[in-house]
This record gives sequence, C-alpha cells and structure tokens, in this order.
Amino acid sequence: MREIDAIIESYEQAKSTDLACVLATVVHVEGSSYRRAGARMLVDEDGMMTGAISGGCLEGDALRKALHALHQNKNKLVTYDTSDEHDAAIGAQLGCNGVIQVLFEPIDFQHSSNPIELLKRANTQNESTVIGTYFHLDKAQDQFGTTFLVNSDLSVSGSEKAKDIHDHVIQDCEAAFDQQTSLFREYIINDERQFLFLEVFNQPPTLVLVGAGNDAQLLAQMAEVLGWNIIISDGRPTHANAERFASSCQVIVTKPEEILKEVSLSDRTVFVLMTHNYRYDIAVLKVLLKEGGIPYIGILGPKKKYDRMLNDLKDEGIELTEEQHSIIHAPVGLEIGAETPAEIGLSILAEIQSVLTETNGGRLKSKDGPIHRKKNNEFKQIVIE
Amino acid sequence: MSEQPIYLDYNATTPVDDQVLQAMLPYFKESFGNASSVQHAYGWDAEEAVNMARDQVGILIGVKPQNLIFTSGATEAINLGIRGAVASNESKNHIITCCSEHKAVLDTCDYLKSIGVEITILDINADGLIDLAELQAAIQENTLMVCVMSANNETGVLQEMDLISQICEENEILLFSDITQAVGKIPQNLQESNIDIAAFSSHKLYGPKGVGALYVNDLSTIAPMVYGGGHEKGLRSGTLNVPGIVGFGKACEVAGHLLNSEMDRLKKLRDFLESELLQLGGIQINGQKTNRLSHVSNVSFQDIDGSRLIRSLKGIAVSQGSACNSSVIEPSHVLKGMGISDQLAFSSLRISLGRFTSEEEVRKAIQIIRSVIEQQRMQLL
Repeated sequence: MREIDAIIESYEQAKSTDLACVLATVVHVEGSSYRRAGARMLVDEDGMMTGAISGGCLEGDALRKALHALHQNKNKLVTYDTSDEHDAAIGAQLGCNGVIQVLFEPIDFQHSSNPIELLKRANTQNESTVIGTYFHLDKAQDQFGTTFLVNSDLSVSGSEKAKDIHDHVIQDCEAAFDQQTSLFREYIINDERQFLFLEVFNQPPTLVLVGAGNDAQLLAQMAEVLGWNIIISDGRPTHANAERFASSCQVIVTKPEEILKEVSLSDRTVFVLMTHNYRYDIAVLKVLLKEGGIPYIGILGPKKKYDRMLNDLKDEGIELTEEQHSIIHAPVGLEIGAETPAEIGLSILAEIQSVLTETNGGRLKSKDGPIHRKKNNEFKQIVIE
Repeated sequence: MSEQPIYLDYNATTPVDDQVLQAMLPYFKESFGNASSVQHAYGWDAEEAVNMARDQVGILIGVKPQNLIFTSGATEAINLGIRGAVASNESKNHIITCCSEHKAVLDTCDYLKSIGVEITILDINADGLIDLAELQAAIQENTLMVCVMSANNETGVLQEMDLISQICEENEILLFSDITQAVGKIPQNLQESNIDIAAFSSHKLYGPKGVGALYVNDLSTIAPMVYGGGHEKGLRSGTLNVPGIVGFGKACEVAGHLLNSEMDRLKKLRDFLESELLQLGGIQINGQKTNRLSHVSNVSFQDIDGSRLIRSLKGIAVSQGSACNSSVIEPSHVLKGMGISDQLAFSSLRISLGRFTSEEEVRKAIQIIRSVIEQQRMQLL
C-alpha cells in the first residue's frame, strides 16, 4: 500500500470516530534529508502516526508539535535543522545535513476541501495534479496550508487564498506540469511575503503484466509493495484468475489483439511481456507499437527472442522507429545477476523505476553530487506589482 | 514628588518597550508553563514562545537560533563564554583581552588568572582602540581566546572587529566579543564577521532585565558552568525564564525594525548636543569620533570639580564613568586607559541617548549642563 493510501485510510477511520487529527507535511528541504518535500504523516489525537516525514529522527518531536497544533487548532510551521548536532529535539543523528520545514495542519472534517480531501481527490484522478501548500518561513505569520488542487487542464479546486496572485500561481502550476517537478515560490506583494510549495502529485505507475504465470504472480506481489496499480492479462483462464492474484490486482482474460480494450493508457502505464508464449507476446507487442506515449515495454527472454521478434515484424513490413527502440527493454531488467523469479522481478521493477524517473539505474556510490535531484529546490522570488 | 530627571543613561539600562511588555504579559499567568514540560500544552506553548524568541534574537544578530544559549544576562553569558571555553579546552590556557573591557570580562579574567590561566591585557590608544600589531605580538602558542568588546559602554568606541577577527582566524584563536552595547544599535552579522562567541543582554535594548544570551558558533568549544537539568543543550541548566525570553525576543524584533532610523535620529541629537557643549570651551569628547555608537557621548570638562559636577546635575540622569563601578568612586578605567588624567576622568560624563529621548529633552539637558558648568567655573575663578 502506498503511504498516501495509508494516510487516507487512517483519515477515514479517524473521521468515522470523530478522532481529531493533524497532517504533517515536509514543505521544503535545504541540504540533504531522508525524505523530501511532499513527505506526509498523519497524527491523530491519541498520538497514532501514519506515514513518515523522516527516517525516524524527527517523528518524536513532530508528534508533540502535531498535538500542540491540534491544541491551538492552528497551522504551524516548524524548522528542523539536522545539521545541528546538539539539538536535543532531534535526538538520534542520521548524519544528514539539512534544514527541513514541516507544516502541521489540524484537519477540519467538516471542510470539504481540507488538505486530506484534496489529497484524496488528487489520488483518485487518472492524471497528474498539482497540490498547492501555502506557508510562511516567519513562524509568527499565518500559515495558510494545503488549500488547492490544480488539474492538468489548469482547473482549480479548493481555494488559493490570495486572489491577487491567482494568475501567477496558475502560471507556476503550468510550469510544474511542464517540467514534471515540484516548485517552490516566494511571492512578494507590497512587502508581504507568501511561500508556496507546488507539488506535482503523480499517480502510481500502472504495471500491466502480460502473462499470468508463477513468475508474474511474484512480480505482482512485489509491485504491490511499491503501491503500484497492477493489471494482469493472459489468454489462459487457468492462470489469469482472481484466486492466484491479490484482490487489488485487476485480472483480465483476453485475446492479445484485444488487450487495450480493457487497459487505458497513460504516460505512467508500463508493460512487461512475460507469457513465455512467443506468439502471444509478439501479438501484444504489435498492438502496443500502434500506440504512442507508452513509456516502457519490457520483454522477458533472451536477446535472441527479441531479434526474432524484430525479424518477424520486419517480414510483416513493420520497422521500429528510433523512439520505439528506446522504449522497448529487451531483455527486460537491470543487470544484477538475477536468477530466481523473485530476483528477476527485482531487476524488472528497478529498471521500470529508473525509466519512469529518468535516472540511469547505476550505483549511487559512483554518482557525483547529492542522491536526490535538487532541480528547482530554491524559492524563486516573484515580485507582484 | 519632584519631577523625574531627564533620562540620558541608556547605556546603563533602558525602559521596557510597550510592545515588549505586552508580549511578555501572557507568559506570567495564562501561559505560565515550563518550557521543559513536554507532556502537555502548557509546556508546548512555553517552548514555542521560547523558540520564537530565539528566532527573533538570531535574526537581529545574523546567527542561527540553535547557536544561542539564554542566560540571566550579559554577565552570566560572559562568564559562560570565557570560563566555558577555558574549561572545554585542555591544551591552551592563555587569554588576550584589553584594558577598556567591561568589568564582567576583566573580573572574569582576574579570576581565571588566580587559577592559573595566563592573561594578557592590551592597552588602548587615545582613540580607545587596541593596536593590532600589539595584538598580533601578544599571540602565543597556547593562546586560546581573544576577548574584545565590539562597542565600549563608556565611550561608544567601536573596535575594528573585522581586522581583529581576521587575525584570530589566521592564528586559529577563538574570538569572544561582549556585544552588549552594540546589539540593536548598529547592524550586526556575527556569522559574517567571524566572531566565535558573543555575549549580550536584553535590558540594554528595551527588553526586561534578568535575561541575556550567549552566541556560540560551535557549541563544542564551551563547557557548562551550571549543572542541573540539561537545559539549553546542557550548556546552561535551569528552568528557562520564559516571560523574560519572550520579552528579549520581542525587543530584538522591535530593535531590528527601528535600528536604521534610530541610528540616524540619535546621531543628529548627539551631534547637536556635542556641538552645543563644545561652545562652552575647555571641553573634550573622548574616544574616536568616527567609528562610535551614534547615541553615546563621553565628555570631559576642564576646570571642574568632578565630585561636585554630578551632584549638581540634578535635572538629568547621566553617569560618571561606568555605572557598574559606581559603588566605589574611582576614575573610569576606560578613560584612564585612553591616557586621560584622573582629575579629568572624574569630571567626565557619559551621556547616552535612546529611543525615548526627544529633541526637547536634549535641549533642556544642554541648558542644564551649560549652566552648571558655567556656574562652577565662575566659583573656581
């Protein structure tokens, strides 16, 4: 289960029993930290925590801050400086060196656009959205909090609070969608400041496993842990059935030519062809090649199998474009010496993760610079006349 | 009751600003919690207020809030800064300071000398400045720390902290500075100016008495002087003075807002005061004129009996030398250090203006001083 799903579930539970709760959100990180901006944790009035804002070193103090925010019924910004080795509040040192801004928002169940309701809405869209969280680095100022959601067509739900910056906010949301990265803004209007975290909220990837064998069963279990949506498709009802797969998986019995009747595509829908049936795999590949915008197609099997596929396609007059070559990963997976079905599953999922995040799947120790990409991490100042 | 004298002794202490008082009040009664009570909202409110104040103090002097330790005042902060550094360092035991420091520094150094720490006290010149070549020459292998105040409490003279910090950095020596008179009066950015440890207090900048702070760039350079509870990262135990700290924070915020305008306003008033007094003749302004706090004037009057002077100035509250030494009548060690004779030092006044000083008050003060001086000179003739 994804963290966000767990948070929403805890929220629903708290709401049904009228147990007050607070959402803690990392709204900015300068330097290094285990969790980046967008990490969230829900704390209820009994001190139950769902999700995490750090590797565990901040949660103890964050729990108190959350309960304090609840007591005051007021949003609250707290700064954690993990570069300070003497800070008793942080306690255990991870050796991180970052300044982490955490916003605490008591949740009003009656408010139809409260932060979690907005997250719920974002979580049920079929596309990326941008979530807007206002805060102020001067803690004495009002912290508006998570107040709006913007869809890719730039329609807004919730409220942006400050009307005079509407056009700028929308423009910045568009930029966030274009660049597919979260952005940080500092709007300055007549010497008043307003900080905004615009988070690109992506849907989990949808993994379509073509082939419902025992190896697919294992791969589905592993993808489930990552919180991905999983669709299993096969022509064999003996293999593709609900008993063999977790209830959260969608299982489809279909002819290869009709696979896309049941699967809707998005820029985060990826395919792995693993039926161990050459004819079925190539038939699905032919269908997929007719579609644009698929980010990843993995084909299980040796290079020889893929070469044969290319030859057979060529015989039918189908020549792959450069772009099609780049999205097809055959043999599927990263080279990590995988032998068993579980190891192969790991290698496949790691490759998909790296493709979707446009990283190269290498070793972090060989990487120069920080682990996380720090693109657009600075507050861009925008002066509004 | 007779009319209160015009207060021109802001370097001794300042009244609490109204905004400061208002900010403090809730923390005496409704929000009286102990900032260390982590289990309930009373404690959380207090802790939050302290954190907020720490931010406000940090912003004013350009440091990270986590590098500030709250104390009962500048004197305690000075003790913690100097003695704490000595206690935390085993290999080096030589301190260089200067003769015009506040007694809080000089007496602490005296004590350290009595327990075997080597102390070098630098002279100052007629301008009130230390000689950088002398400082350089005084540095030894075992020099731990240089203690130089940024602004002198009696003359307002500003030491060349940038050059001093450069020398300290080159020689890997800690620089401690008593910045009590400078905070909130002139722009401060301790992180940029490479001062390692700095002490100051709230009541010199319109905050309450009984609260101060020590800034320490690297907390591991000092050891605690007070034990019992591990407050302030174990470096200053004792329940935090929450209302005082809240007031200190607010005072810093207000001072930050007013700093530039007050600097200009008070400089005009002070310069006016000095130019008017100079017309009397037989008068000298002590300390360098240029780099000096803009609200302070230290004036010596020739041909005047010092002991009578201060008693005759009933209409104004000023001090003769430093306020802290006044239980013993001795000529100011700062003025003596600048080569001023005992007699002239006795007939010197420290006039320090502040936020509530009006032009009218300054005019009145000039009148009072002028008539007293003229009268006393007449009698001496």
